[in-house]
Amino acid sequence: MIKFENVSKIYKDDFHALQDINFEIQPGEFLIVVGPSGAGKSTLLKMIYAAEAPTAGEIYFDNVPLSSLSKSKLPEYRRNIGTVFQDFKLLSRKTAFENVAYALEVSGCPKEEIKEDVPQILEIVGLGEKLNKYPHELSAGEQQRVAIARALIHKPLVIVADEPTGNLDPVASIEILDLLLKINKLGTTVVLASHDKAVVDKAAKRVICLEKGAMTCDTPKGKYKLK
Amino acid sequence: MWLTITRTFKEALHNFIRNGWLTVATVVVLIMSLYVVSTVYITTFIVNENLKNVQDKLSVSVYFKADTTEKTIEDAKDFFQKNSDVGDVVYVSKEQALENFKKYNANNEELMQSLEEIGENPLWPSLVVTANDSQKYEDIVGYVKSSPYREEISQINFDKTKDAIDKLNSIVKTTERTGITLIFIFSLIAVLITFNTIRVTIYAHKKEIGIMRLVGASNSYIRLPFIFEGFAYGLGSAIISMVILFLTLRFAPSFIFINVSGPISISSHDLLAFYWHNFFIILAIEAGMGIVLGVFSSLIAMRKYLKT
Repeated sequence: MIKFENVSKIYKDDFHALQDINFEIQPGEFLIVVGPSGAGKSTLLKMIYAAEAPTAGEIYFDNVPLSSLSKSKLPEYRRNIGTVFQDFKLLSRKTAFENVAYALEVSGCPKEEIKEDVPQILEIVGLGEKLNKYPHELSAGEQQRVAIARALIHKPLVIVADEPTGNLDPVASIEILDLLLKINKLGTTVVLASHDKAVVDKAAKRVICLEKGAMTCDTPKGKYKLK
Repeated sequence: MWLTITRTFKEALHNFIRNGWLTVATVVVLIMSLYVVSTVYITTFIVNENLKNVQDKLSVSVYFKADTTEKTIEDAKDFFQKNSDVGDVVYVSKEQALENFKKYNANNEELMQSLEEIGENPLWPSLVVTANDSQKYEDIVGYVKSSPYREEISQINFDKTKDAIDKLNSIVKTTERTGITLIFIFSLIAVLITFNTIRVTIYAHKKEIGIMRLVGASNSYIRLPFIFEGFAYGLGSAIISMVILFLTLRFAPSFIFINVSGPISISSHDLLAFYWHNFFIILAIEAGMGIVLGVFSSLIAMRKYLKT
Protein backbone atom coordinates (compact mmCIF):
# COMPACT_ATOMS: atom_id res chain seq x y z
CA MET A 1 0.00 0.00 0.00
CA ILE A 2 2.77 2.41 0.98
CA LYS A 3 6.22 1.77 -0.37
CA PHE A 4 9.48 3.60 0.37
CA GLU A 5 12.08 3.02 -2.32
CA ASN A 6 15.66 4.20 -1.68
CA VAL A 7 14.33 7.28 0.10
CA SER A 8 16.83 9.86 1.36
CA LYS A 9 16.29 13.32 2.75
CA ILE A 10 19.09 15.86 2.99
CA TYR A 11 18.38 19.27 4.51
CA LYS A 12 20.06 22.49 3.47
CA ASP A 13 23.04 22.31 5.80
CA ASP A 14 24.02 18.87 4.57
CA PHE A 15 22.14 17.17 7.41
CA HIS A 16 21.10 13.65 6.43
CA ALA A 17 17.68 13.21 8.03
CA LEU A 18 17.02 9.93 6.23
CA GLN A 19 19.39 7.64 4.34
CA ASP A 20 18.34 5.07 1.79
CA ILE A 21 15.12 3.87 3.43
CA ASN A 22 13.34 0.84 1.95
CA PHE A 23 10.19 -0.78 3.30
CA GLU A 24 6.62 -1.52 2.42
CA ILE A 25 3.43 -1.33 4.46
CA GLN A 26 0.57 -3.74 3.71
CA PRO A 27 -3.08 -2.68 3.95
CA GLY A 28 -4.41 -3.19 7.46
CA GLU A 29 -0.97 -3.36 9.00
CA PHE A 30 0.05 -1.69 12.30
CA LEU A 31 3.59 -0.35 11.97
CA ILE A 32 5.60 1.24 14.76
CA VAL A 33 8.60 3.44 14.01
CA VAL A 34 10.97 3.73 16.97
CA GLY A 35 14.17 5.65 17.53
CA PRO A 36 15.66 8.44 19.64
CA SER A 37 14.71 12.04 18.94
CA GLY A 38 16.39 13.33 15.83
CA ALA A 39 16.55 9.89 14.27
CA GLY A 40 14.23 10.91 11.44
CA LYS A 41 10.89 9.47 12.62
CA SER A 42 8.94 12.67 12.03
CA THR A 43 10.52 13.23 8.62
CA LEU A 44 9.57 9.71 7.59
CA LEU A 45 5.97 10.23 8.73
CA LYS A 46 5.73 13.62 7.05
CA MET A 47 6.72 12.01 3.78
CA ILE A 48 3.75 9.66 4.03
CA TYR A 49 1.29 12.57 4.14
CA ALA A 50 3.34 14.52 1.61
CA ALA A 51 4.35 17.40 3.86
CA GLU A 52 7.96 16.69 2.92
CA ALA A 53 9.34 15.47 -0.36
CA PRO A 54 12.34 13.12 -0.50
CA THR A 55 15.63 14.44 -1.86
CA ALA A 56 16.22 11.09 -3.54
CA GLY A 57 14.12 7.97 -4.04
CA GLU A 58 10.36 7.62 -4.40
CA ILE A 59 7.33 6.94 -2.23
CA TYR A 60 4.37 5.09 -3.67
CA PHE A 61 0.82 5.12 -2.39
CA ASP A 62 -1.19 2.31 -3.99
CA ASN A 63 1.51 2.22 -6.69
CA VAL A 64 1.13 5.95 -7.46
CA PRO A 65 4.40 7.86 -7.01
CA LEU A 66 3.74 10.85 -4.73
CA SER A 67 6.10 13.03 -6.77
CA SER A 68 3.60 12.80 -9.63
CA LEU A 69 0.84 14.54 -7.64
CA SER A 70 0.35 18.21 -8.50
CA LYS A 71 0.17 20.81 -5.75
CA SER A 72 -3.58 21.24 -6.19
CA LYS A 73 -4.11 17.47 -5.79
CA LEU A 74 -2.33 17.34 -2.45
CA PRO A 75 -5.25 18.37 -0.18
CA GLU A 76 -7.29 15.63 -1.83
CA TYR A 77 -4.53 13.07 -1.37
CA ARG A 78 -4.09 14.02 2.28
CA ARG A 79 -7.70 13.13 2.96
CA ASN A 80 -6.65 9.49 2.49
CA ILE A 81 -4.46 9.90 5.52
CA GLY A 82 -5.46 10.91 9.01
CA THR A 83 -2.78 12.56 11.13
CA VAL A 84 -2.35 12.65 14.89
CA PHE A 85 0.39 14.60 16.68
CA GLN A 86 2.05 14.93 20.04
CA ASP A 87 0.67 18.47 20.47
CA PHE A 88 -2.85 17.49 19.27
CA LYS A 89 -3.06 20.47 16.87
CA LEU A 90 -6.65 21.34 17.73
CA LEU A 91 -8.20 24.68 16.83
CA SER A 92 -8.45 26.29 20.25
CA ARG A 93 -11.44 28.47 19.40
CA LYS A 94 -13.53 25.54 18.27
CA THR A 95 -15.35 22.94 20.35
CA ALA A 96 -14.63 19.23 20.04
CA PHE A 97 -17.55 18.91 17.65
CA GLU A 98 -16.45 21.90 15.56
CA ASN A 99 -12.87 20.69 15.38
CA VAL A 100 -13.93 17.40 13.89
CA ALA A 101 -16.61 19.01 11.72
CA TYR A 102 -14.08 21.44 10.26
CA ALA A 103 -12.24 18.60 8.56
CA LEU A 104 -15.48 17.65 6.82
CA GLU A 105 -16.54 21.20 6.03
CA VAL A 106 -13.35 21.94 4.11
CA SER A 107 -14.11 19.11 1.71
CA GLY A 108 -17.63 20.41 1.04
CA CYS A 109 -19.44 17.70 2.94
CA PRO A 110 -23.19 18.38 3.31
CA LYS A 111 -24.47 19.60 6.66
CA GLU A 112 -26.72 16.62 7.36
CA GLU A 113 -23.82 14.23 6.97
CA ILE A 114 -21.69 16.29 9.36
CA LYS A 115 -24.45 16.29 11.96
CA GLU A 116 -24.70 12.53 11.72
CA ASP A 117 -21.05 11.50 11.39
CA VAL A 118 -19.32 13.75 13.90
CA PRO A 119 -21.18 12.67 17.07
CA GLN A 120 -20.81 9.07 15.92
CA ILE A 121 -17.05 9.28 15.59
CA LEU A 122 -16.72 11.14 18.89
CA GLU A 123 -18.74 8.35 20.46
CA ILE A 124 -16.26 5.80 19.06
CA VAL A 125 -13.29 7.59 20.67
CA GLY A 126 -15.21 7.82 23.94
CA LEU A 127 -16.14 11.51 23.95
CA GLY A 128 -19.85 11.20 23.26
CA GLU A 129 -20.63 13.37 26.28
CA LYS A 130 -18.14 16.15 25.60
CA LEU A 131 -19.13 17.35 22.14
CA ASN A 132 -19.39 21.00 23.09
CA LYS A 133 -16.28 21.35 25.22
CA TYR A 134 -13.43 23.55 24.07
CA PRO A 135 -9.93 22.00 24.00
CA HIS A 136 -8.87 23.84 27.17
CA GLU A 137 -11.80 22.26 29.01
CA LEU A 138 -10.57 18.75 28.16
CA SER A 139 -7.74 16.66 29.64
CA ALA A 140 -4.68 15.94 27.48
CA GLY A 141 -5.88 12.40 26.82
CA GLU A 142 -9.30 13.66 25.81
CA GLN A 143 -7.79 16.28 23.51
CA GLN A 144 -5.82 13.55 21.80
CA ARG A 145 -9.06 11.60 21.36
CA VAL A 146 -10.58 14.60 19.61
CA ALA A 147 -7.54 14.71 17.32
CA ILE A 148 -7.94 11.00 16.58
CA ALA A 149 -11.63 11.49 15.89
CA ARG A 150 -10.74 14.26 13.46
CA ALA A 151 -8.17 12.01 11.79
CA LEU A 152 -10.81 9.30 11.39
CA ILE A 153 -13.67 11.43 10.11
CA HIS A 154 -12.70 11.09 6.45
CA LYS A 155 -12.62 7.32 6.87
CA PRO A 156 -8.97 7.42 5.86
CA LEU A 157 -7.07 4.40 4.63
CA VAL A 158 -4.12 5.22 6.89
CA ILE A 159 -3.68 6.87 10.28
CA VAL A 160 -0.28 8.43 10.82
CA ALA A 161 0.41 9.15 14.49
CA ASP A 162 3.60 11.05 15.41
CA GLU A 163 4.37 10.52 19.12
CA PRO A 164 0.68 10.69 20.05
CA THR A 165 1.45 9.73 23.64
CA GLY A 166 4.39 12.10 24.10
CA ASN A 167 2.37 14.55 26.21
CA LEU A 168 0.32 11.98 28.11
CA ASP A 169 0.65 10.18 31.40
CA PRO A 170 1.18 6.36 31.31
CA VAL A 171 -2.47 5.49 31.84
CA ALA A 172 -3.72 7.87 29.15
CA SER A 173 -0.92 6.65 26.86
CA ILE A 174 -2.11 3.07 27.05
CA GLU A 175 -5.71 4.21 26.50
CA ILE A 176 -4.69 6.02 23.32
CA LEU A 177 -2.75 2.94 22.15
CA ASP A 178 -5.82 0.77 22.79
CA LEU A 179 -7.86 3.19 20.73
CA LEU A 180 -5.36 2.98 17.86
CA LEU A 181 -5.35 -0.82 18.07
CA LYS A 182 -9.14 -0.79 17.95
CA ILE A 183 -9.09 1.43 14.87
CA ASN A 184 -6.57 -0.90 13.27
CA LYS A 185 -8.75 -3.88 14.01
CA LEU A 186 -11.59 -2.15 12.15
CA GLY A 187 -9.37 -2.18 9.07
CA THR A 188 -7.43 1.08 9.04
CA THR A 189 -3.68 0.94 8.48
CA VAL A 190 -1.81 2.62 11.33
CA VAL A 191 1.72 4.06 11.29
CA LEU A 192 2.83 5.05 14.78
CA ALA A 193 6.05 6.79 15.72
CA SER A 194 6.98 6.44 19.36
CA HIS A 195 9.82 6.25 21.82
CA ASP A 196 7.54 5.20 24.66
CA LYS A 197 8.79 1.72 25.62
CA ALA A 198 5.61 0.75 27.45
CA VAL A 199 3.49 1.57 24.40
CA VAL A 200 5.74 -0.22 21.92
CA ASP A 201 6.04 -3.35 24.04
CA LYS A 202 2.33 -3.53 24.79
CA ALA A 203 1.39 -3.17 21.13
CA ALA A 204 3.54 -6.11 20.06
CA LYS A 205 3.37 -5.14 16.38
CA ARG A 206 5.88 -4.77 13.54
CA VAL A 207 8.69 -2.39 14.54
CA ILE A 208 11.04 -0.40 12.34
CA CYS A 209 14.06 1.15 14.10
CA LEU A 210 15.66 4.38 12.93
CA GLU A 211 19.04 5.62 14.08
CA LYS A 212 20.66 8.76 12.69
CA GLY A 213 18.46 8.53 9.64
CA ALA A 214 19.27 4.92 8.82
CA MET A 215 16.99 1.90 9.21
CA THR A 216 18.59 -0.51 11.67
CA CYS A 217 15.86 -3.09 12.22
CA ASP A 218 12.53 -4.33 10.87
CA THR A 219 10.99 -6.98 13.10
CA PRO A 220 7.47 -8.37 13.20
CA LYS A 221 5.98 -8.30 16.73
CA GLY A 222 9.00 -6.32 17.89
CA LYS A 223 9.96 -4.91 21.23
CA TYR A 224 11.56 -1.60 22.00
CA LYS A 225 15.25 -2.39 22.11
CA LEU A 226 17.49 0.56 21.50
CA LYS A 227 20.81 0.94 23.20
CA MET B 1 -19.28 26.89 -4.26
CA TRP B 2 -22.23 28.39 -2.41
CA LEU B 3 -21.60 26.01 0.47
CA THR B 4 -17.98 27.16 0.65
CA ILE B 5 -19.01 30.81 0.74
CA THR B 6 -21.64 30.42 3.45
CA ARG B 7 -19.33 28.23 5.51
CA THR B 8 -16.34 30.53 5.28
CA PHE B 9 -18.59 33.52 5.97
CA LYS B 10 -19.85 31.86 9.15
CA GLU B 11 -16.25 31.04 10.02
CA ALA B 12 -15.35 34.71 9.64
CA LEU B 13 -18.24 35.76 11.85
CA HIS B 14 -17.10 33.33 14.54
CA ASN B 15 -13.53 34.61 14.34
CA PHE B 16 -14.77 38.16 14.51
CA ILE B 17 -16.60 37.49 17.76
CA ARG B 18 -14.28 34.95 19.38
CA ASN B 19 -11.14 36.99 18.74
CA GLY B 20 -12.40 39.58 21.19
CA TRP B 21 -9.68 42.09 21.95
CA LEU B 22 -7.78 41.52 18.76
CA THR B 23 -10.89 42.47 16.81
CA VAL B 24 -11.42 45.54 18.94
CA ALA B 25 -7.81 46.66 18.52
CA THR B 26 -7.86 46.22 14.77
CA VAL B 27 -11.14 48.03 14.35
CA VAL B 28 -10.05 50.89 16.61
CA VAL B 29 -6.86 51.41 14.61
CA LEU B 30 -8.82 51.40 11.38
CA ILE B 31 -11.39 53.83 12.77
CA MET B 32 -8.69 56.24 13.90
CA SER B 33 -6.95 56.08 10.55
CA LEU B 34 -10.13 56.73 8.60
CA TYR B 35 -11.22 59.41 11.02
CA VAL B 36 -7.99 61.38 10.89
CA VAL B 37 -7.85 61.29 7.11
CA SER B 38 -11.45 62.40 6.73
CA THR B 39 -11.12 65.16 9.33
CA VAL B 40 -8.09 66.58 7.58
CA TYR B 41 -9.91 66.32 4.29
CA ILE B 42 -13.00 68.16 5.53
CA THR B 43 -11.02 70.86 7.32
CA THR B 44 -8.95 71.58 4.25
CA PHE B 45 -12.01 71.65 2.09
CA ILE B 46 -13.94 74.02 4.34
CA VAL B 47 -11.05 76.42 4.86
CA ASN B 48 -10.48 76.51 1.14
CA GLU B 49 -14.13 77.10 0.37
CA ASN B 50 -14.16 80.01 2.80
CA LEU B 51 -11.04 81.52 1.34
CA LYS B 52 -12.55 81.23 -2.11
CA ASN B 53 -15.64 83.03 -0.85
CA VAL B 54 -13.41 85.87 0.29
CA GLN B 55 -11.73 85.83 -3.08
CA ASP B 56 -15.13 86.19 -4.71
CA LYS B 57 -15.78 89.29 -2.66
CA LEU B 58 -12.65 91.02 -3.93
CA SER B 59 -13.10 93.81 -6.41
CA VAL B 60 -11.35 96.84 -7.91
CA SER B 61 -13.08 100.22 -7.91
CA VAL B 62 -12.39 102.50 -10.84
CA TYR B 63 -13.30 106.09 -9.90
CA PHE B 64 -14.15 108.61 -12.57
CA LYS B 65 -13.77 112.37 -12.41
CA ALA B 66 -16.76 114.15 -10.95
CA ASP B 67 -17.80 115.74 -14.25
CA THR B 68 -17.75 112.55 -16.32
CA THR B 69 -21.09 111.96 -18.02
CA GLU B 70 -23.13 108.92 -17.28
CA LYS B 71 -22.98 108.01 -20.96
CA THR B 72 -19.18 107.88 -20.94
CA ILE B 73 -19.19 105.69 -17.87
CA GLU B 74 -21.72 103.32 -19.42
CA ASP B 75 -19.47 103.09 -22.50
CA ALA B 76 -16.48 102.38 -20.29
CA LYS B 77 -18.46 99.69 -18.51
CA ASP B 78 -19.22 97.97 -21.83
CA PHE B 79 -15.58 98.30 -22.80
CA PHE B 80 -14.31 96.71 -19.58
CA GLN B 81 -16.83 93.95 -19.87
CA LYS B 82 -15.23 92.89 -23.15
CA ASN B 83 -12.11 91.71 -21.34
CA SER B 84 -12.46 87.96 -20.80
CA ASP B 85 -10.82 88.13 -17.38
CA VAL B 86 -13.50 90.47 -16.11
CA GLY B 87 -16.39 88.77 -14.40
CA ASP B 88 -18.72 91.55 -13.46
CA VAL B 89 -18.85 95.34 -13.69
CA VAL B 90 -21.26 97.32 -11.53
CA TYR B 91 -21.91 101.01 -11.96
CA VAL B 92 -22.11 103.06 -8.77
CA SER B 93 -23.34 106.61 -9.45
CA LYS B 94 -22.39 109.65 -7.41
CA GLU B 95 -25.78 109.56 -5.70
CA GLN B 96 -25.51 105.90 -4.96
CA ALA B 97 -22.02 106.40 -3.56
CA LEU B 98 -23.25 109.18 -1.30
CA GLU B 99 -26.08 107.06 -0.02
CA ASN B 100 -23.71 104.20 0.73
CA PHE B 101 -21.34 106.55 2.44
CA LYS B 102 -24.11 107.94 4.63
CA LYS B 103 -25.30 104.50 5.52
CA TYR B 104 -21.85 103.29 6.59
CA ASN B 105 -21.07 106.41 8.55
CA ALA B 106 -24.44 107.15 10.07
CA ASN B 107 -22.97 106.99 13.55
CA ASN B 108 -20.11 109.30 12.84
CA GLU B 109 -21.65 112.70 13.60
CA GLU B 110 -18.56 114.73 12.82
CA LEU B 111 -18.31 113.27 9.39
CA MET B 112 -22.00 113.79 8.69
CA GLN B 113 -21.73 117.37 9.82
CA SER B 114 -18.79 118.19 7.57
CA LEU B 115 -20.61 116.53 4.72
CA GLU B 116 -23.53 118.88 5.24
CA GLU B 117 -21.19 121.86 5.35
CA ILE B 118 -19.76 121.04 1.96
CA GLY B 119 -23.29 121.25 0.63
CA GLU B 120 -22.70 119.27 -2.58
CA ASN B 121 -21.87 115.65 -3.28
CA PRO B 122 -18.09 115.33 -3.06
CA LEU B 123 -17.98 111.69 -4.18
CA TRP B 124 -16.97 110.25 -7.52
CA PRO B 125 -18.94 107.88 -9.64
CA SER B 126 -17.25 104.52 -10.02
CA LEU B 127 -17.26 101.11 -11.70
CA VAL B 128 -16.73 98.15 -9.42
CA VAL B 129 -14.90 95.46 -11.37
CA THR B 130 -14.78 91.84 -10.25
CA ALA B 131 -12.37 89.35 -11.84
CA ASN B 132 -13.11 85.74 -12.71
CA ASP B 133 -9.83 84.79 -11.11
CA SER B 134 -8.26 86.77 -8.30
CA GLN B 135 -4.84 86.32 -9.87
CA LYS B 136 -5.92 88.42 -12.86
CA TYR B 137 -6.47 91.75 -11.08
CA GLU B 138 -3.10 93.08 -12.09
CA ASP B 139 -3.83 92.42 -15.77
CA ILE B 140 -7.26 93.98 -15.48
CA VAL B 141 -5.89 97.12 -13.90
CA GLY B 142 -3.36 97.37 -16.71
CA TYR B 143 -6.17 96.94 -19.21
CA VAL B 144 -8.18 99.73 -17.55
CA LYS B 145 -5.20 102.06 -17.37
CA SER B 146 -4.47 101.70 -21.08
CA SER B 147 -8.11 102.01 -22.17
CA PRO B 148 -9.37 105.03 -24.18
CA TYR B 149 -11.15 106.13 -20.99
CA ARG B 150 -7.97 106.62 -19.01
CA GLU B 151 -8.33 110.42 -19.24
CA GLU B 152 -11.67 110.25 -17.42
CA ILE B 153 -10.37 108.10 -14.58
CA SER B 154 -9.35 109.88 -11.43
CA GLN B 155 -8.24 106.95 -9.31
CA ILE B 156 -8.07 103.18 -9.16
CA ASN B 157 -8.04 101.75 -5.65
CA PHE B 158 -6.14 98.64 -6.72
CA ASP B 159 -2.75 99.61 -5.36
CA LYS B 160 -4.12 99.68 -1.84
CA THR B 161 -5.79 96.30 -2.06
CA LYS B 162 -2.98 94.70 -4.06
CA ASP B 163 -1.19 93.51 -0.94
CA ALA B 164 -4.33 92.01 0.49
CA ILE B 165 -5.07 90.21 -2.76
CA ASP B 166 -1.54 88.84 -3.01
CA LYS B 167 -1.61 87.65 0.55
CA LEU B 168 -4.94 85.93 0.10
CA ASN B 169 -3.76 84.23 -3.06
CA SER B 170 -0.75 82.84 -1.30
CA ILE B 171 -2.84 81.68 1.67
CA VAL B 172 -5.20 79.79 -0.63
CA LYS B 173 -2.29 78.12 -2.35
CA THR B 174 -0.61 77.25 0.93
CA THR B 175 -3.72 75.71 2.49
CA GLU B 176 -4.35 73.71 -0.64
CA ARG B 177 -0.83 72.40 -0.67
CA THR B 178 -0.70 71.79 3.09
CA GLY B 179 -4.03 69.98 2.92
CA ILE B 180 -2.95 67.68 0.13
CA THR B 181 0.37 66.97 1.85
CA LEU B 182 -1.35 66.25 5.16
CA ILE B 183 -3.91 63.96 3.56
CA PHE B 184 -1.11 62.12 1.81
CA ILE B 185 1.00 61.73 4.94
CA PHE B 186 -1.91 60.66 7.13
CA SER B 187 -3.14 58.22 4.53
CA LEU B 188 0.29 56.67 4.36
CA ILE B 189 0.49 56.38 8.15
CA ALA B 190 -3.02 54.93 8.22
CA VAL B 191 -2.14 52.33 5.60
CA LEU B 192 1.04 51.28 7.39
CA ILE B 193 -0.54 51.04 10.83
CA THR B 194 -3.55 49.16 9.59
CA PHE B 195 -1.46 46.76 7.56
CA ASN B 196 0.73 46.07 10.55
CA THR B 197 -2.21 45.52 12.89
CA ILE B 198 -3.82 43.05 10.53
CA ARG B 199 -0.49 41.33 10.10
CA VAL B 200 -0.32 40.82 13.85
CA THR B 201 -3.91 39.55 13.83
CA ILE B 202 -3.05 37.00 11.19
CA TYR B 203 0.19 36.07 12.89
CA ALA B 204 -1.96 35.07 15.85
CA HIS B 205 -3.68 32.66 13.49
CA LYS B 206 -0.43 31.22 12.17
CA LYS B 207 -0.80 27.95 14.05
CA GLU B 208 -4.43 27.67 13.08
CA ILE B 209 -3.64 28.13 9.41
CA GLY B 210 -1.13 25.30 9.68
CA ILE B 211 -3.76 23.03 11.24
CA MET B 212 -6.33 23.93 8.62
CA ARG B 213 -3.94 22.93 5.88
CA LEU B 214 -3.21 19.74 7.75
CA VAL B 215 -6.82 18.60 7.75
CA GLY B 216 -7.06 19.16 4.04
CA ALA B 217 -8.43 22.69 3.65
CA SER B 218 -7.50 24.29 0.34
CA ASN B 219 -5.75 27.65 0.37
CA SER B 220 -8.81 29.47 -0.89
CA TYR B 221 -10.94 27.87 1.83
CA ILE B 222 -8.47 29.13 4.44
CA ARG B 223 -8.21 32.55 2.83
CA LEU B 224 -11.93 33.33 2.45
CA PRO B 225 -12.80 33.81 6.15
CA PHE B 226 -9.88 36.19 6.52
CA ILE B 227 -11.02 38.15 3.49
CA PHE B 228 -14.53 38.40 4.90
CA GLU B 229 -13.02 39.47 8.18
CA GLY B 230 -10.95 42.17 6.50
CA PHE B 231 -14.10 43.29 4.70
CA ALA B 232 -16.03 43.46 7.96
CA TYR B 233 -13.21 45.40 9.65
CA GLY B 234 -13.25 47.92 6.82
CA LEU B 235 -16.99 48.38 6.60
CA GLY B 236 -17.54 48.47 10.36
CA SER B 237 -14.75 50.98 10.91
CA ALA B 238 -16.06 53.21 8.12
CA ILE B 239 -19.52 53.32 9.65
CA ILE B 240 -18.26 53.99 13.18
CA SER B 241 -15.86 56.68 12.02
CA MET B 242 -18.73 58.34 10.15
CA VAL B 243 -20.64 58.55 13.41
CA ILE B 244 -17.64 59.98 15.26
CA LEU B 245 -17.07 62.44 12.44
CA PHE B 246 -20.67 63.58 12.75
CA LEU B 247 -20.29 64.13 16.49
CA THR B 248 -17.06 66.06 15.93
CA LEU B 249 -18.58 68.36 13.34
CA ARG B 250 -21.64 68.85 15.47
CA PHE B 251 -19.92 69.72 18.74
CA ALA B 252 -16.26 70.53 18.16
CA PRO B 253 -16.50 73.88 16.32
CA SER B 254 -18.03 75.56 19.35
CA PHE B 255 -14.94 74.52 21.33
CA ILE B 256 -12.30 75.21 18.74
CA PHE B 257 -13.43 78.25 16.75
CA ILE B 258 -14.96 80.35 19.48
CA ASN B 259 -13.95 83.71 18.11
CA VAL B 260 -13.72 83.10 14.44
CA SER B 261 -15.81 85.68 12.64
CA GLY B 262 -15.48 88.21 9.89
CA PRO B 263 -14.80 87.15 6.31
CA ILE B 264 -13.80 83.63 7.32
CA SER B 265 -16.25 81.86 9.53
CA ILE B 266 -16.65 78.19 10.24
CA SER B 267 -19.81 77.27 12.02
CA SER B 268 -21.12 73.93 13.08
CA HIS B 269 -24.04 74.59 10.79
CA ASP B 270 -21.81 74.92 7.71
CA LEU B 271 -19.85 71.81 8.62
CA LEU B 272 -22.94 69.74 9.16
CA ALA B 273 -24.41 71.00 5.91
CA PHE B 274 -21.22 69.92 4.21
CA TYR B 275 -21.35 66.56 6.00
CA TRP B 276 -24.91 65.76 4.97
CA HIS B 277 -24.46 67.09 1.50
CA ASN B 278 -21.46 64.84 0.93
CA PHE B 279 -22.57 62.01 3.22
CA PHE B 280 -22.56 59.25 0.64
CA ILE B 281 -19.35 60.39 -0.98
CA ILE B 282 -17.51 60.46 2.35
CA LEU B 283 -19.02 57.13 3.37
CA ALA B 284 -18.09 55.57 0.04
CA ILE B 285 -14.53 56.85 0.27
CA GLU B 286 -14.15 55.67 3.86
CA ALA B 287 -15.75 52.30 3.28
CA GLY B 288 -13.76 51.82 0.09
CA MET B 289 -10.53 52.73 1.80
CA GLY B 290 -11.34 50.59 4.84
CA ILE B 291 -12.34 47.56 2.82
CA VAL B 292 -9.42 47.76 0.43
CA LEU B 293 -7.07 48.20 3.38
CA GLY B 294 -8.65 45.35 5.34
CA VAL B 295 -8.81 42.87 2.51
CA PHE B 296 -5.44 43.59 0.95
CA SER B 297 -3.62 43.66 4.28
CA SER B 298 -5.14 40.25 5.06
CA LEU B 299 -4.16 38.82 1.70
CA ILE B 300 -0.59 40.09 1.85
CA ALA B 301 -0.14 39.07 5.48
CA MET B 302 -1.41 35.54 4.78
CA ARG B 303 0.70 34.87 1.73
CA LYS B 304 3.62 33.80 3.86
CA TYR B 305 1.66 31.06 5.66
CA LEU B 306 0.06 29.60 2.56
CA LYS B 307 3.19 28.82 0.57
CA THR B 308 3.66 25.25 -0.71
